[in-house]
Amino acid sequence: MEAVLKNVASTVELLAVAAHSGVVKQWDKQTVYRAFHWCRYCEHIFSRFHSNTAIRRVMEKQLQPTNQSLRDSIPGYSDVSFSDLQWCQHLLLVGLLNNPELPCSILKILFDTRTPVNTSLSEDKDGISLCSHIIQCKSACKLLSPLTAVSDVGADAEVQGEMLMERLGALSNQSRDTCKAEQFLDCVLQGCEGDMQHFCLIITAALLTTDTSQTAARDFLLDWLQSKHGLLQHMCSALPTTLLIDLAKQHQKFRCAHSGVLKKVAADMEYSLSDGEWVQTSINPTLTFQKLTEHFRALFEACPSLRGETEKELNALKISDGDFDVRGLSVWGDLLEAINQ
Amino acid sequence: MSELQSLSQLQQTVEPLLNVQEVQFWLDKAVAWGQADSPDTQKDTCLHLGRLRDFLQQLLSHISNMGSTTETMKRLPFLGQLLGRLCWNPYVTAGDTNRGLLLQCLWGLYSEHPSTAVERKANQWIQKVLCQLATEEDSAAAQALMKCTGVPAEQYHLKVLRKMVEKLQDNIGKSCICPNKINQRCPCDNVLVASEVCVPLVTCPEVSPLIGALLQRPVTCVREALSEDFLDAVSSAYSSQGLSLEEPAIVSLWYHSLSSLEEAVLTLLESVTNTRSTPQELQQQVAQSLLPKACAQHCSIFLVTNDIFRSILKEAEGNKSVKSVIQTFTRCFLRELARLQYQTSVPLKAFFPQSPQSLLVPLLTLPSEMPREAWRNHLTWLSGSLQRLTEEEEEEEEGDRDGRNTGLKGHCIIFEAWFLLVQCAHWVQVALQLLVPSEPKDCHPLLWLVTFYHHPTNRWHHRASQLVRASQAWDHLRTVFLVSAHPLPTDHLQSLVTLLSPQPQQPSLAPLLTISLLAHFAVFCQLPLSGSTEILQKVVHQTGLVDEAAHALSLLDLRLNEGSCLSDDTVHLRIKGLQNTITHMLPAC
Repeated sequence: MEAVLKNVASTVELLAVAAHSGVVKQWDKQTVYRAFHWCRYCEHIFSRFHSNTAIRRVMEKQLQPTNQSLRDSIPGYSDVSFSDLQWCQHLLLVGLLNNPELPCSILKILFDTRTPVNTSLSEDKDGISLCSHIIQCKSACKLLSPLTAVSDVGADAEVQGEMLMERLGALSNQSRDTCKAEQFLDCVLQGCEGDMQHFCLIITAALLTTDTSQTAARDFLLDWLQSKHGLLQHMCSALPTTLLIDLAKQHQKFRCAHSGVLKKVAADMEYSLSDGEWVQTSINPTLTFQKLTEHFRALFEACPSLRGETEKELNALKISDGDFDVRGLSVWGDLLEAINQ
Repeated sequence: MSELQSLSQLQQTVEPLLNVQEVQFWLDKAVAWGQADSPDTQKDTCLHLGRLRDFLQQLLSHISNMGSTTETMKRLPFLGQLLGRLCWNPYVTAGDTNRGLLLQCLWGLYSEHPSTAVERKANQWIQKVLCQLATEEDSAAAQALMKCTGVPAEQYHLKVLRKMVEKLQDNIGKSCICPNKINQRCPCDNVLVASEVCVPLVTCPEVSPLIGALLQRPVTCVREALSEDFLDAVSSAYSSQGLSLEEPAIVSLWYHSLSSLEEAVLTLLESVTNTRSTPQELQQQVAQSLLPKACAQHCSIFLVTNDIFRSILKEAEGNKSVKSVIQTFTRCFLRELARLQYQTSVPLKAFFPQSPQSLLVPLLTLPSEMPREAWRNHLTWLSGSLQRLTEEEEEEEEGDRDGRNTGLKGHCIIFEAWFLLVQCAHWVQVALQLLVPSEPKDCHPLLWLVTFYHHPTNRWHHRASQLVRASQAWDHLRTVFLVSAHPLPTDHLQSLVTLLSPQPQQPSLAPLLTISLLAHFAVFCQLPLSGSTEILQKVVHQTGLVDEAAHALSLLDLRLNEGSCLSDDTVHLRIKGLQNTITHMLPAC
């Protein structure tokens, strides 16, 4: 373990050198290759020990003095935490590309344009000449994405959903404690803050995966989603109906949650005399009355069992509102009528 | 006014190196492409990618000829603006060549020891651009997930691209349920757009399944079309080995693109005529070329391929390797066609519209498809039919010689009949085999057929006089091989050698005819192997026709192996023995 700790600390020092020192001028292809090799080693160490609290704590403790001494000697140095180790190669790359002393030879190594003989991530090529390939893949995706169907989750969200499920699956296999998995989801949610719409697509894609070994992880994700009411409401109002229906068909929990969200939206509606229509009273109206009706209809169509039960419920609510058959008095009465039209 | 000024400034600095109008053209293009993301812009970008490559190449050579980045920036002040814009255009960065050139230009501007503010700034800028291109994500979610899951960027982007290609491939593969009305939208409209978008992506290995799917889309709709640019790009990427395609996609490429089919046929011809392959190797090469299979699947591919063979044969009628390729190709094609028999309803006639129809089925039938006892009658009929056909046409030609008609039509008919015989030369080989045990009274039709194969016309090839000499050769061979006389009848042997040697006065008999006849006699005669070997060795030694004799023996061996034409092994052993004798005579051995 001591050797591992030493290696990790040395790699953190290596990252600092790559980002800040003029020594990189002396680096050749072998050095660059070895640097990426050590970064992959740290990524491996992270995935091996991140859920082991004891080892994690030791590692974090070990990194403190390393960071401290680097902070002291390098102005503008930013600490590398234990969880940063999981994308160590990225840190190395960004560090190198921001080092003002970077020689052109390393640029050429990193952006080598010769097509790799083998597209699989072979040992020889891994870490080297990767940038040109990244640019190519990104550009190709930009070209192709307008051709994909609009109603679809999207290839990127699908891959992200798979990544999410893989990690959730690994976390739930490693320990019964759901705390780590929750932390992970919160961390992703935080990262996606500016783009909630896309986050909803990732969750959808994750829930629509069909790998049977991940059933428990999907269940966990559903529970987590139900605890985030704002997020759930956003999903139900912003996602295309087809996707919501797919989710409702596959997950009973989601079906109930969806119907609950729709009822809550209806409960918050007021009749606007000037528009002659039910409107949401919240600051950010998300669904119109017409959309709400459409959502209910689609839900009933996909899950006929839900229909009787929900209609009974809506009817009871209508009766509690006075059971009038006049438009504009009870949102439940008007909703029932609109659904069955 | 200011625009004019800047143009004239540009002119002063740039003019000696580059055409200022061209520079302005590319600057304008880069700006226009960056401003709009409409289908028209995309199309325009794709259309200009080839020219842009040439321009970038030109820029790169200027950059590498400059002493320093300061000098470069002074002489080519527009560079930063142009390269910067192009770096963010995915159409430019998606293709290997343009991305490579762009990166090389940037490296060229990167100073190892920046000595001025301009150079330091340029370095910073280049690092920033490259860092953004490689490490920054458009989507915050992608960045967050990579950070939280530790999946490396390259792996992530590769996965997304593969997934996207898979989805599009599924979509493209769906056959169209086309609305009857022309103005209604149909999924086929997307095929054209998709093919245009794929132009810069043809060398991207992850995209090749989509390219395959586009090529193989069944033609079910009038609107279904692949863009010409796409087909050109795919053809050139495929031929330069920048794109690998699955077999059915390659066949579809040939079906859609004439130039790519022509190239495939010519490449095959070149590779097999340049190497000294044995008939067995030749057959392997031809089959591996996938062309016979493609021809059996699509009649139009066969017609084009056959047309190329026809013109090559007209140019090089005496070339034995061209004839062998055509024969081997036809044999492979017929085999593939037989495999597809239950799936295709295209009649043979459609594949050979120019051939004399009465000869078509008799010639295309393989000897193995017929009882051996029927061979002689079949060949007699074939020979008679061909003889009649040539005589009729030649008589007409003679009659027309002083008249208006040039006799071209007749010549064409004879050529087509001969071309078909070259394609089906297995019957010529059977004729050679049957000539061994023939009696003088029934050898004529067989000799005529063999002579026609080697000397198709009377006027240019002196077929009639060659026939006389072929008979003489047959006579000598018969005496030497069948009349078991010892010592060897040297006078007959000598006459044979004379027949095989070039004679100044007379047009010589094709040595291949005599050598093939000799090889067949050596294999099928009643003499013991030692006797046969001795004769073969003597003639080959005196005439120096080692290669020809070895070739004739291999060809015979190949035919006998096919379609179980031969049941006993003794003939194979005999051929092996004769081959060994011949090859040991090769000077190199």
